[in-house]
This record gives sequence, structure tokens and C-alpha cells, in this order.
Amino acid sequence: MTAGSRQVVLERIRAGLAEIDGEMQTGYAELPRLYNQRGSMSVEAKLALMVERLREYDAEVVECPEAALEATIAAQIAGSGRRVLAAPAGLPKQWLAGGVDWRVDHDLSHEQIEEAEGVVTASFCGVADSGTIVLHHSPAEGRRVLTLLPDWHLCVLRASQVVETLPEYFARCTEPPRLATYISGPSATADIEMTRIKGVHGPRFLSVVLVQDDV
Amino acid sequence: MNAPVNHPVMDPRVAAPFPEAALPVLRNAQLRKNVAHATDVIQTKRNKLVAEKSDWLELRDAASAIRAHTLEHLGEYLEQFEERCTAAGGVVHWAADAEEACAIILNLLREEQASEVIKIKTMTSAEIQLNPALERAGIHAIETDLAELILQLGDDEPSHVVVPALHVNRSQVREIFARRMGLEDLKDDPQALTAAARTYLRKKFLSVPTAISGANYLIAETGGVSIVESEGNGRMCLTLPRTMIMLAGIEKVLPRFRDLEVMLQVLARSATGERMNPYTSLWTGVTPGDGPQRFHVVLLDNGRSAMLKREVERQTLKCIRCGACMNTCPVYRQTGGHAYGSVYPGPIGAILTPQLMKLEHAQTLPYASSLCGACYDVCPVKINIPEVLIELRAQVTDRERESERRFFDPIYLGMRMANSVFANAGRFKAAQRMARIALQPFTGKDGWIHKLPGTGGRWTMTRDLRGLPDQTFREWWEKREKERAQ
Repeated sequence: MTAGSRQVVLERIRAGLAEIDGEMQTGYAELPRLYNQRGSMSVEAKLALMVERLREYDAEVVECPEAALEATIAAQIAGSGRRVLAAPAGLPKQWLAGGVDWRVDHDLSHEQIEEAEGVVTASFCGVADSGTIVLHHSPAEGRRVLTLLPDWHLCVLRASQVVETLPEYFARCTEPPRLATYISGPSATADIEMTRIKGVHGPRFLSVVLVQDDV
Repeated sequence: MNAPVNHPVMDPRVAAPFPEAALPVLRNAQLRKNVAHATDVIQTKRNKLVAEKSDWLELRDAASAIRAHTLEHLGEYLEQFEERCTAAGGVVHWAADAEEACAIILNLLREEQASEVIKIKTMTSAEIQLNPALERAGIHAIETDLAELILQLGDDEPSHVVVPALHVNRSQVREIFARRMGLEDLKDDPQALTAAARTYLRKKFLSVPTAISGANYLIAETGGVSIVESEGNGRMCLTLPRTMIMLAGIEKVLPRFRDLEVMLQVLARSATGERMNPYTSLWTGVTPGDGPQRFHVVLLDNGRSAMLKREVERQTLKCIRCGACMNTCPVYRQTGGHAYGSVYPGPIGAILTPQLMKLEHAQTLPYASSLCGACYDVCPVKINIPEVLIELRAQVTDRERESERRFFDPIYLGMRMANSVFANAGRFKAAQRMARIALQPFTGKDGWIHKLPGTGGRWTMTRDLRGLPDQTFREWWEKREKERAQ
């Protein structure tokens, strides 16, 4: 393996920037960041916005109290009519509703995941402003492929995980994630005459269970 | 439907000058209608979402400052990225030019014994003409972005950096898919066309073990990278294969993970008029058990480092390829992208392409603008495109003036005459009188000049010229003073 033209390129960059002075760290610390870092909404308004945005993306949203979570997941699965579902290895056991052919991800092959009609996962965060669901792919959120191949994604989001603005999500990351996927509505395209078509390659259907935990 | 009559030339070294390349497009009513519709839709959505964002100007300031700062310390940030990406299991390669980047990628594909490779939309790969290089080596590249697939199957070229097939309408897509996928009964509604693409590509996603992508962001702090997309074809390519090769311009780096909180907010709104694009993926090197186990990043210079020296040119590299400048540009909206003879069209292309070509080609592009400034207004990283256009025009003119054969060119002859006329009040006055007499035969009864001979015809080809008045201001003033004195 060669490094290619590493020295050549770095040398050209150094020559180009020879007249720039100023220290990198200081320069970075002084960058203007006067945009909204924090939201200003009440908890109720923030959650209502999250739900509204998700629905604008044609995602299905149900809200439930913590105590009714398992029953709500089971009801959503039953209502979807799907029987073969994938689940991350770290998904809470109580979420695995009865009457379902569960494919728990202990090294499932791509073909096995492709055969599943849906997948149930937890999530890391929700951003109300853009209706975004953030996955950091923890054991309860699953490998990236798990939420990619099945056509339906049922995602559990807790009210305490919802922030109003994108910068608030970044503030919640104590350290940068190694892997992350930000999902804002189901897969879509507008490549043909700017007509928005839902469901190109990713899951075509997104359902969210918003758990009203203590916030 | 009217398939492109002439195959668009996207290599600036051989493309026709802009005014010449624009003519066939301006005569193609269907294409102009398609471009106008697409740019109108995106622009309207973009304007609405920007208006609802109360901190838009502050986000723009931050985005602009982050990009400018990164470029000022580009070498340090790239080395940091290389170190951390390598520590996370990635392999970083450096390519001085297009040829070297193609060679590096070809070598990697040969090591993988690849005969096919799936691709996420990457304008940078079009810049280095990667697909033809792969085909010559017997490796078939499969474009997986819907628009890129339409272009690939239709033997067409991209005309926009975000929605590359915006010049093609649904019945044209239907014709291409029906012919190339063997689907005679395909309907022309976008839903059916999209479904056809999904089925066509699904097998490829699950079976082709090597993928190529561009990059939206490289993060120096973590060695991580990010891809921003809508369809999920990106996620397929960056999750399913065994090996992933990312081609990234050296300017794509960002200092820290946190900077995404600014860049993602401005990018989606500017590019597609969405609050957030459907999928953003972020990964760091190689993660055991999740995604490709071999990950390569090819850092491409190809003329970029030559733009770093002066601030005015350097700002070109702040670009995050949102395409907002194209959608708003009164020139692009008439001509579409192919007239620019480069994968980077529109206002950003008019400043990026000539610089990537070191001004040896694409010299007409800095003139493909009315300098109205709409591009600067919408740019989320505040690139002062008109300023760069004017600077490049000056550089083009300086080069031309020095060239011998330009000495007797009517424009330069005229400029030298004008120089001498404007230097002296008497000469100026005489010239005014002469011009009035000389232009008289060309001036219509309505006081307008509709057609001029020779070089002047280039002006009246597309617009009328006001005829000279019977009296200049000075003449009127002198006459008035005289009358008052009486």
C-alpha cells in the first residue's frame, strides 16, 4: 500500500497557506455561534411539535404511558399485520410480543434480515424541530443493517429523549458516537419532476411509539 | 420523447465555450420547461423553510466561519483526520490529481477482484471521470441514486449537483427505464418509476461486495465521515458491502463532530428545502460486526490546493454543494447545467471549474453570469460568488491581453481606443459627436438600436440599445448657461 502523494499534497497546502497566521485552537474557540443553542418551548409544545413533524413525514405516531408500553408495541405489531420481525440483540425482552416470529439479531445474515417484514428498536434521541430520530446503534438500537432492510421500522422514543433543536442533541452527546444514523421520515426521493415519493430503498413505513415517561 | 440530441460534454478541457454550448439548450423548449419547474419547486420550498428559521443569519455566519477557519488550517485538520481515521481502522490515501485518484481506486478494486461496484452519488467521481476509467478496466459501476441511475441508463450527464436529472421529465424516464430494464408496460407516474428502480437495484445491493461513495463531511476530531442522502441507497452502499471506498475532496473536512449541528441545519434547507434530509449516516473507520470491514478514504487535491493562497479564491472551497445558487441563478434557470461543460454547473461551477482547470480551460464560465448577486444571497456558507467571478474575469482578461494574437482583436482595439478617448475631454467630446453620426443609420424611429453590425452585433443579438440622444448633458448645460446669460 502506498501513501500516494501525501507529501506532495500537504506541501502544496502548506505553501498555499504560508501567509496565514493565527493558532488553530484559538481560532476555533472564537468562531461565532450565535444561533439558537437551546429551545424555548414548554415540554408539551416540544412533544406536540415532534409528533406533528413525524406525521408530516407520513410516519405513524402513537403515544402511551410507560406502563402501557409493552401492550402498545404488541398492538402496533398486531395492527400492522406483520408476523416476521427482526429485533436487536439488546431489545428489552418484554418488548418481544407474543404471536410473532422474532428474528433476534445474533449475527443474522443479510438474507435473514431481508426476509423480516419489520424491525422493532429503541432510539437515542428525537429532535422536534426537524422530526428527526437519532440512532447511535447501541445494543437496543441494533446494527445499522437491521433498520435498513426490513420495510417497516417500529421505533420506541421516550419523551425524556426528545429535544427541541439539533444543537441540543449534540449537547447530549457526552462524546461523539462511533456510528450514528439520523432518520427524518421514511426513505424518499424527489428526483422525478420534484414529486416526493415515499420509500425508495430504506424502510417505506416508519412507526413511532412515543412513551410519556417522567419528564 | 426528445432524447438529448447531442451528448453533453462534461470535460471542461474539450467542452465548447459557454455561449456556444448554451444555444442548443435555449432552443430546447422541453428541457427549459423541465429545468424551470424543478428549480421553481426547490426554491419555493427553500425560501419557506429559511423564512421560518429565526436564527438563519446566525447559522449562516457560523457555517461560513467554520468553513473559512477549516480552510485556513486545512493541512493540520487533514493530518488529524488521517491519524484518527487510521486509528479507527480506515486506510487513508492521497491523490494529487484525477489520474492518481482513479489509479488508487482501480488498484483497490483489483485487490478486491471486483467486476462490479455500487456507487452512491458523487460529483467528485464525475470530476475525475472515474466511471469511464473503471469501464476501461472491465469494472462496471452501478449508480444507485435514482437520478444518477436515470442518467446512466439514459446515457446522459448530470446537470445539477443535488438533483442531477432535473432536466429529464417523467415520460423521458419511463422511456429510458422501459427500454433498459425491459419493462414495456411501465407507467409514467413517479411512484411506478421509483418502484421499478427499487426492484432493479435491490439485487445489486445484496450481492455486490464493493461500494464507492463521495463524502459530505470528514470529521478531523474523530476520524469519522458523514453521508447525507434521501433515498437510502447511500445506507445500502455503506452498510451491506464488504469494502467501501470513499472519494473526498481535501476541502470536505470539518474540525469537530459538533460542527455538524450547524452544517446539517443549513445544508438540508438549502439543498432540497427540507428541515432535515431523510437519512444522515455517520461512521468511524471500521466497526466489527457492523458494516464494511475494509474502509478506504481517497483524499483528492486535483487543483484545490492552488486556490488556497488568497482569500478571494479560497472561499470557493467553502462550498458544501447544496446547489442553492443554481436554483436561484437567472442564467442557470435558462440554460440548465449542461451548457457549463462541467459536472459543477451554475454560479459555483462558474467559479470552481475555471480554477480547477487553472484557467487554462473554461475561461468563458466567469462571464456566464449577470452578476446580480442572487447566488451570494442564498449561499449558506456566504461565498461571495460575484466577487470571485469579477476576480476571475480580470485574470482571464490579463492572460488574453498578454497573448499576441489578441492585439488586433476588435474588443481590445476598442478598449485601447476608449482608453485614449476617455483620457481627454476634447477627444471625448469629439467621439460623442462622431458616435451620434455613426449610429444614426442604425437607430430606429422609436429611438432604439435593434441591430448593430460586427462586434456590436453581439450586444444587439439579445437586447436593444438605446440610441444616442440628440444632445449630450454638457451640450444642454452649455446652451442653458448661454441662454441665462442673455
